Amino acid sequence: MNVEAYIASGILEAYVQGQLSAEEQADVEKNIFQYPELRKELAAIESTQELLLQQMAIQPNASLKDVILSKISMPPTSKTVPMDTRPNGRWNWAAAAAIAVAAIASYFAFDYRGKWKDSQRALTDLIAQNQQVAQDYNTVNERLDRLELDVNIINNPAFTRVVLKGTEQSPSALASLYWNETTKEVYLSIREMKELSAENQYQLWAIIDGKPVDAGIFDLTKGRLIRMKDVKPGAKTFAVTIEPKGGKATPTLETMQVAGNVIEG
Amino acid sequence: MAEEVLQDVFLKIWDKIDSYDREKGKLFTWMVNIARNQAIDKTRSREFSKDRQTGDLGKFVNRIDAKDHIELGVEAIGLRDLLNRLPEDQQFVIEKHYLKGYTQSEISEEFNLPLGTVKTRMRLAMQLLRNLLVK
Repeated sequence: MNVEAYIASGILEAYVQGQLSAEEQADVEKNIFQYPELRKELAAIESTQELLLQQMAIQPNASLKDVILSKISMPPTSKTVPMDTRPNGRWNWAAAAAIAVAAIASYFAFDYRGKWKDSQRALTDLIAQNQQVAQDYNTVNERLDRLELDVNIINNPAFTRVVLKGTEQSPSALASLYWNETTKEVYLSIREMKELSAENQYQLWAIIDGKPVDAGIFDLTKGRLIRMKDVKPGAKTFAVTIEPKGGKATPTLETMQVAGNVIEG
Repeated sequence: MAEEVLQDVFLKIWDKIDSYDREKGKLFTWMVNIARNQAIDKTRSREFSKDRQTGDLGKFVNRIDAKDHIELGVEAIGLRDLLNRLPEDQQFVIEKHYLKGYTQSEISEEFNLPLGTVKTRMRLAMQLLRNLLVK
């Protein structure tokens, strides 16, 4: 027999792990009697398994010891343990048995640890999801609050609505403006205006006594009212031009996008 | 349930101690095999009466009642580290066998590995562990 190949096949490990059929087991037992190398290898495998299982071992509940000892002492005939003739041999095997049994308990415990880890992961996911939902809710809520304010302005009769229509350069542009002459507040609502390059901004002008007065700069913002600078009473016309970022003191008339006259109600 | 198994194992060892033959291996090995078989028998019979299924031990060991939970000590972390030092395929067979209670045949069938491969991987794993554990 090729002892090396026999060992390399892993059959001794399977033997130690109790994985062989009765015939295979008998065969291995016959071989280990015959070949000292196999015997040596078997002992090494057994020691490895013992060390491994001790790593897995956990302490059983101390009270179990009494329960088991009382069950063992009940049978009428006492038993002798044949493998060890040293005086305290019985305690040796009892200690070893405790380790063996603890190893089994660890089968369950280790698996349980895995499940616990999974639950933790699931919990972390749920917390993250929950935070996301809360965040979304806040975003929606803020948006709703703002829309409510906008609606209040639009519905408020103190505000005069000025429709700003597209000029020849931008016929499709359209915006509305809400102006409260008493409080001077001005809000702008963009319906349709083109995107600007990063160097440019829109600028709103109020024409008062025939002169353009700066009413603030703004970027393209849709879906809500934009608060502009206050405009004092007397404005007859509003217009929007495209100016370099930050705005200018006087409008560039060639870039006028929308304009509209105040219709006194 | 683990404690029930533990009691049963002690009683079985006590009953069968006469049949232990030191020529065939260490006492520890003999006891481990009794303990393993007892644990497997227990999980199987229990689950069988519950939902009439047999055959897949993986299903059983993954369904353990909360009352059977036993806190693992610091040693378990050492065990994790130890197993992580094995190549993945070897770690796999060791975990399935020693922690999940699979037999080699069950590993072979369930994960579609030839039985010979399971055996040689187990062999390589045990050799590596020998080096790691015996310092």
